Amino acid sequence: MMRFATLLKHPADWMMGHGAETSVVLTSRVRLARNLAKSPFPGWSRKKDREGVYLSLREKLELVPGMKDGFSHELCDLDPLQKQVLVERHLISREQAARSEGSGSVVNRKQTLSLMINEEDHLRIQAIRPSLQLNEAFKLAHAVDQRLEKLVDFAIDPTLGYLTACPTNLGTGMRASSMLHLPGLVLSDQIGPVLKGINKLGLAVRGLYGEGTESLGNLYQISNQSTLGESEEEILDRLTKVISDVALYEVQARKKLMSEDPIMVRDRIGRAAGNLSYAHIITSKEALNHLSMLRLGSDLTLLPPDLVEQCDRLFMETQPAHLQWRAGRKLEPEARDVIRAQMIREKLQSHLPPAINLSEKEN
Amino acid sequence: MKCDSCQGKATVFYTQVIEGKLRKFVLCEACAKKKGITNVDDLLMGEDLLGNSAPQTKIQDLVAELNQDDCSSCGFSLDDFRKVGRLGCPECYDVFSREISERLPSMHKGGIHKGYLPEGVAMKQALKSELACLAEKLESAIEDERFEEAAMLRDQICKIEEKKGVAES
Ligand SMILES: [Zn+2]
Ligand SMILES: [Zn+2]
Repeated sequence: MMRFATLLKHPADWMMGHGAETSVVLTSRVRLARNLAKSPFPGWSRKKDREGVYLSLREKLELVPGMKDGFSHELCDLDPLQKQVLVERHLISREQAARSEGSGSVVNRKQTLSLMINEEDHLRIQAIRPSLQLNEAFKLAHAVDQRLEKLVDFAIDPTLGYLTACPTNLGTGMRASSMLHLPGLVLSDQIGPVLKGINKLGLAVRGLYGEGTESLGNLYQISNQSTLGESEEEILDRLTKVISDVALYEVQARKKLMSEDPIMVRDRIGRAAGNLSYAHIITSKEALNHLSMLRLGSDLTLLPPDLVEQCDRLFMETQPAHLQWRAGRKLEPEARDVIRAQMIREKLQSHLPPAINLSEKEN
Repeated sequence: MKCDSCQGKATVFYTQVIEGKLRKFVLCEACAKKKGITNVDDLLMGEDLLGNSAPQTKIQDLVAELNQDDCSSCGFSLDDFRKVGRLGCPECYDVFSREISERLPSMHKGGIHKGYLPEGVAMKQALKSELACLAEKLESAIEDERFEEAAMLRDQICKIEEKKGVAES
């Protein structure tokens, strides 16, 4: 079985290999909620029942291909910092991190599949792919679902579909979402109307870490709200269409900014590069916002192309728990800001050209 | 005093005999109206509720709701659901189906699952609706004394029930 340290040493498969297709849509995630037919939902069950469900489900999950040599832990075996790291990696939810006995996480080696036991529902099957690939993410999760339904008696009503702890997940039990980087729409003040339009279509928009989190680093998650009354295919098609539209608006906004106000854009990117290269104290929020500008600079070919992947890794590695895990100890926020700045300076040193190159590109 | 249905201020009081027991109900005006008890004055005045003023089925609905039992599988109550918006176990969906179905339109595009179902469940569902359709035909055949047709339908039903039994085992 994979150790926690091994899991963290390797970046997830979906964090690697960037190209034009990830310039706006970073990742696509699909999550299926499933419950056992004969047991109370985790939020309404005794510790003993939860542990029973955990043990029986874990045994079956490890039969899924690729899971046996993956990462598998009951959350009460992990310390708060380790749980927070898993949240920052999107491998468990914030809600699940708050649970302990009888709640567990099973992740495959490539970190493309993450199975959460006894979160709000008995089981949540999550698949993550890079760029806009909601259908591919669904296929991955669906294959696990089909494998498990032969081993587990899921709670299903022919009319209401999959029965979930909260009726908002009823039916398909499917929540699909993509993470988008939208600095062009933010810089050109178009983000408000675009987000409103998405809401009007019955889709949800959230910040980096799900429900109730503010948007940092110009990162936004778009997901379906309705799970009942449409097939998985219909939901995914609708979502994919809206997300590709938003991605197109973003590309257009970037083009327009570059033709109408290129100096402003270069100034923002240059200042971000300057701050990240020379700062000695930097908060997570400030880092995310500057990294967002750096990523934009790389996408606009003002900065080297390999910077995109570096930015995406720093998005995650400069998060508080990742930082403390790397430092090997718990750190006060002030100490974190110092270590964060140091880490960013070191990582960017070899990637950023001497400052003069950025303005040379203007001609 | 609090409304039995929404915890608002209750202004409508009435009593009724259900299964030989006298039961008292209190509702706020809005809930009373929502349940189809439009003539509030009648309710305020009297105890002979059944019959004239309000449509009978609506009142039966209301009585059913006020008598709502907790889920026998897991002990979850309707009050719990109203407080947390979640359910206790899969059975709760049956027990609190009325309250849940009222909330679904504000959450979802539709009220009927159109997505994936495991093969067994999908087949069982298809057989079930086929059976319901045949049973209806059988009933009308018997009513119209078309006995030959009725016998044929009965055979068909037997066959499907056999298939269903196999699918379930
Ligand atoms: Zn009321
Ligand atoms: Zn229940």
